[in-house]
Amino acid sequence: MTLYALQNLTVEIAGNQLVQDVSLEVEAGQCTAIIGASGSGKSLTCLTPFGLNSGSAIGSMMLDGIDLSNATAAEMRSARSQLTGFVFQQPMTALTPHLTVGAQLREAGAQGGFAFTRSDMIQKLERVGLSRADEKLDQFPHRLSGGERQRVLIAAAIAHNPKLLIADEPTSALDAALRSEIMHLLDELRAEHGLGMLLVSHDLASVEGHADQLIVMDQGSVVESGPVAEVIANPKQDYTKRLIAATPRLEEPPPVLSDTGEIVLETSDICVEFPKPGWRRGKVRAIEDANITVRQGEALAIVGGSGSGKSTLGRAIAGIGPVTSGSIFWENELLPERRNRSLSMRALIQPVFQDPVASLDPQWKVSDIVAEPLINLRSEILKPDRIIKVQQVLNEVGLGDEYHDRSPTSLSGGQAQRVAIARAIVADSHMLVLDEATSALDPLVGAEILKLLAQLQREKDLSIIFITHDIAAARRLCHRIVVLDEGHIVEAGNMGDVLQNPQNETTKKLLAVS
Amino acid sequence: MLALIVRRLLTAIPTLLGIILASFFLMRSAPGGPFDGERPLPPEVQEALRETYGLDKPLWEQAWIYISRLLQGDFGPSLVYRDFTVTELVAQGLPISLTLGGLAILLALLIGVTAGLFAAVKAGKMIDKSIMMLATVATALPTFVTGPALALFFGLWLGLLPVSGRGEGMAWLIMPVVALALPVSGAIAKLTRAGLATVLKQDHIRTARARGLPETKILFKHGLRPALVPVASYLGPAAAGLLTGAVVVETVFGLPGLGRYFVQGALNRDYPLVLGVVTLYAALIILFNLFADLIYGWLDPRMREE
Amino acid sequence: MKSLLHPSHWPLWVVIALIAAALLLPFILPWTYDQIDWDAVRAPAFTGSHLLGTDEIGRDRLARLAAGTRVTIMVAIAAALVSLIVGITWGATAGWVGGKVDEAMMRFVDALYALPFMFIVILLMVIFGRSILLVFVGIGLVEWLTMARVVRGQVMALKQRPFILAAEAAGTKPLTIVIKHILPNIAGVALAYLMLTVPQVVMVESFLSFLGLGVQEPLTSLGILVKEGADDMDVAPLGLLLPGGVLVLILVCLTVEGERLRDTYS
Repeated sequence: MTLYALQNLTVEIAGNQLVQDVSLEVEAGQCTAIIGASGSGKSLTCLTPFGLNSGSAIGSMMLDGIDLSNATAAEMRSARSQLTGFVFQQPMTALTPHLTVGAQLREAGAQGGFAFTRSDMIQKLERVGLSRADEKLDQFPHRLSGGERQRVLIAAAIAHNPKLLIADEPTSALDAALRSEIMHLLDELRAEHGLGMLLVSHDLASVEGHADQLIVMDQGSVVESGPVAEVIANPKQDYTKRLIAATPRLEEPPPVLSDTGEIVLETSDICVEFPKPGWRRGKVRAIEDANITVRQGEALAIVGGSGSGKSTLGRAIAGIGPVTSGSIFWENELLPERRNRSLSMRALIQPVFQDPVASLDPQWKVSDIVAEPLINLRSEILKPDRIIKVQQVLNEVGLGDEYHDRSPTSLSGGQAQRVAIARAIVADSHMLVLDEATSALDPLVGAEILKLLAQLQREKDLSIIFITHDIAAARRLCHRIVVLDEGHIVEAGNMGDVLQNPQNETTKKLLAVS
Repeated sequence: MLALIVRRLLTAIPTLLGIILASFFLMRSAPGGPFDGERPLPPEVQEALRETYGLDKPLWEQAWIYISRLLQGDFGPSLVYRDFTVTELVAQGLPISLTLGGLAILLALLIGVTAGLFAAVKAGKMIDKSIMMLATVATALPTFVTGPALALFFGLWLGLLPVSGRGEGMAWLIMPVVALALPVSGAIAKLTRAGLATVLKQDHIRTARARGLPETKILFKHGLRPALVPVASYLGPAAAGLLTGAVVVETVFGLPGLGRYFVQGALNRDYPLVLGVVTLYAALIILFNLFADLIYGWLDPRMREE
Repeated sequence: MKSLLHPSHWPLWVVIALIAAALLLPFILPWTYDQIDWDAVRAPAFTGSHLLGTDEIGRDRLARLAAGTRVTIMVAIAAALVSLIVGITWGATAGWVGGKVDEAMMRFVDALYALPFMFIVILLMVIFGRSILLVFVGIGLVEWLTMARVVRGQVMALKQRPFILAAEAAGTKPLTIVIKHILPNIAGVALAYLMLTVPQVVMVESFLSFLGLGVQEPLTSLGILVKEGADDMDVAPLGLLLPGGVLVLILVCLTVEGERLRDTYS
């Protein structure tokens, strides 16, 4: 039975049509997933009909026999409070900070007409997998971890036995290891309560196996829709094909990687400690006894969840983060930490960061940004040659002359990341440390950047350290893999071997979500 | 919670001591003395007076004597109003200043939070813009202009309110309190409005809305408390500002509050009087900041952790 | 940001017009601000060459208003610059160095924030004489706190941005990073807060002058004029309303302009 149906939905914000002619259906007990890049209108499509953002929705919107398109404010509120539950992307901020978990759960029930007793609420929290639920009822949200908060939000979203659950990127803000747990929980609850679910995600891989129907959106319109397995196995539209090709999956055949040479980088027992914040004494160990090697022309993946210390290790190697003890060698020569690194040593290793826009100074223009390492690290190159070199490198990363005078704020994420890569290779560095360099980008753009990196690696015989939480993406580029958990290297080996036969629990969890 | 209060009070002691010592040495390093006056007294008399008040002893010893007396609640004698002790002067002035300051902050909170809330509810509309414009004008109204101006209009021209001193009843309080409260209420209105604008865009408001709560309930139950955090952190500086403003208001309206004693004491080099008033002011402000901290914790439980 | 010529910048233009008038009037008016016209004591407005009349000892009101505005604005700009320099240096150092140094420096700022600092300034004025130099140094030393906090917050946030790390990796020296990457990125916010500091300083200066602790005769300032006006308001309300009005106008305009600037940068 069709629970929720949108027909020819159009969403307007301030006179701009951001969503056009979207039609979709959610059956009771089934899951419909919307997939799209940022700006594709997927969140607008699922939130605007319920008046949860500033846009106005035009079209037919039928929820369980009620027409939302001409509902009064009170009818709309009761549609939200009784028929529908919502789970949002950011568990850290989606709960009211000054109300206890219990108060918020009780409120959600009360809105749907249920008066919960304490034991009801404990039971509801236990059902979503929250341990020590009794204690948590009296706690404020900030005491809970991100995963715990998302469980509380889910408990509150289904507290009033809704018929429809709308989940807007429910797992994208969570640590990789938690994602599959939350997705499985949602599947179970759907089966138990006969809930219809509308799931929104930017990541095709994350909805596979959880959704029945798939809707692919791009630039405010539906590109393709149909049963999930059918769309993935046999995509009809060009955009869907590219999206599927761009989404790294573990099932795909292993890539052909270039040969590697001698060991160039070696670390011995690196430890990194940070002082605890405030005046308190004591230190936090972010990295403990890390030993890694990287060969000429080799790409090494450093994989781990958030807080595993993978970025700290990368920064220590790139000379932009502290090293407490241990040493880093480049072709048997010691690389000191941070400020003590000489300019010629700096020229060897260059970083690229996750947030492409934040990694470019908004006050500088593109050509100056790319020239900055040249001026310091290759001061023998004179100005006319420098200009030529900058132009040449920007061309190599696929940016034409028209980009030279642009300001970073006018660039798209993909373009900005290309500028950042140009800056990293302009001084003829031998190694790149890529810290989640593709994670903040839309899948299509991320795949292109990954391709560009592979190409640059081949052409320049670059060594690469690829820091990521996404093993499937790392597999497209990397020869070997190191898995980090709470500052320790828990597994290391050739990419193929580790994927086929993972030994450590952390590795298995990370593989489960890739 | 109790631990926080105790810790704050303990850290307040060195702060207070620091202020007292700084003011003490600052005053003493100044040229001129309390017995200069219009007609200089004969040197022997000055010498005798200095001896009587212990001003001939080394500075450190004087400081030590002052602080040990202070611990027993004795602010020492006034050097200028020689018939009174500082304690007596302060006991007379403090209630007036406290009444003025206390009423002013209450009035400012009342006007400011209400206006800010109202503007936030009508966000973007004409009334919102008008309220915010008025609030900006109010913050730019110095007490030493509004005080005399109010006195001119309501006192001299309309004859509605007493211009100077404390007459019968409570009417004498109205103009000084309004003059004091105006700029603070403008600032509070702006902070409330801005706080609500920020909070109402946050994710937890969308969660509440998704639960189907009516808008007014969302505003009061989920929005208002976090939105008032900036207001709470403004209360400390506001209290300091009010005490400063009170100096002017007391002068303008001829009220024998602490502020007037402070200015006159400073001009006359009445060391104990000035020190006494500074100590009291500092203690008041420290207490008020502690109070603001407690409100903070209630508004946002995340602040209790620190 | 819209061009400064845009009508929405009217507050800035009002202030500029006032300053221009204050600067130009002495060349036009037949009276100087301290000159006594024995024939026209307490003259009402439009008496002879006294457009706005004279005060209780026969000095031209308009000339005094212009002189007071000049002094007030001059002190305000000088003191705001003092606060800008101290605030940026303090805030940028704390934010850039970070750690315990930052903690200690900001605790100090917090402590000063909570203090009756105005009273210490009053003490300073009383004790060290009442020179105009001391007035703006004293005020500048009070008003730098907000600037320091804002700048420190900005620097802390910028320091975390990857482009600073990228500059380090590119071999740019720390001082160069501060000058070429950090400072240009905080300039807008600092300018906005400078704009907001000016009315604060105007307020403090007039307050001190009102109490007789700021600018001293024969110089005059808006605060002194308000004080004189207040003492004589039962006879000549114009003496209070004129300088009071000009003062409030300057304060309102600077605040409106400064707040708009701040909102565009944060």
